[in-house]
Amino acid sequence: MTTNSDSLRSFVYDHLVANGLPPTLDEIARHFGTTRSSARQKLAALKIGKTILVHPESGEIWMAGPFAAAKTDYQAVAGDRSWWANCAWDMLGIPMVLNEPVQVHTKCTDCGSPMTIDCDPSRPPAEKAVVHFLVPARRWYEDIAFT
Amino acid sequence: MSIFRSEEHVRNWTTANDQDPGAIVPLAQVWKLAKGWYADPRSRSWRPRSRDELQAVIRSAGLVGDFWELPN
Repeated sequence: MTTNSDSLRSFVYDHLVANGLPPTLDEIARHFGTTRSSARQKLAALKIGKTILVHPESGEIWMAGPFAAAKTDYQAVAGDRSWWANCAWDMLGIPMVLNEPVQVHTKCTDCGSPMTIDCDPSRPPAEKAVVHFLVPARRWYEDIAFT
Repeated sequence: MSIFRSEEHVRNWTTANDQDPGAIVPLAQVWKLAKGWYADPRSRSWRPRSRDELQAVIRSAGLVGDFWELPN
């Protein structure tokens, strides 16, 4: 199977939605019948803004917005499936990508008390929580893990 | 972008951690931002959006001013 950017992007997100985490380089290589090295090159060459970020050392997917590639403080759940969001903004992006409601289990960044947020693509959440944007938009892409 | 129970909790945290005040946005307004920002990357019609398109999404969520200006 050939690997173009559309098929690679689709595979990454299909895998993520089905399994909760993005595919590893080995899984990408196996799916496309190529080598791990080639999969790493193709992934790094995906020029789609900051949507899929690759870890600079391992070459594995670091995040595929709005999904995280590892456990975070924002777990989105729908039935028996679950995903991790990178941040409070992304926890609201997951239902938009899935086009279905999710329940997010998180906690207040200040006091650590548990919070459950119903995130629905068709209506804003009713909870009276707030989101803190630490840095201005002009710096969002400088260090995307610290915003 | 981190979630807090209230603006008071944000102020507690920024003070305790010596962080910039940043911007505090109600969850419902961030929902509007996410609604405009995210599309399904599995869709054949999906494409990355330009800086100006993303700025328009931010503006349409009611977030305006210097803090919300993306880099040119």
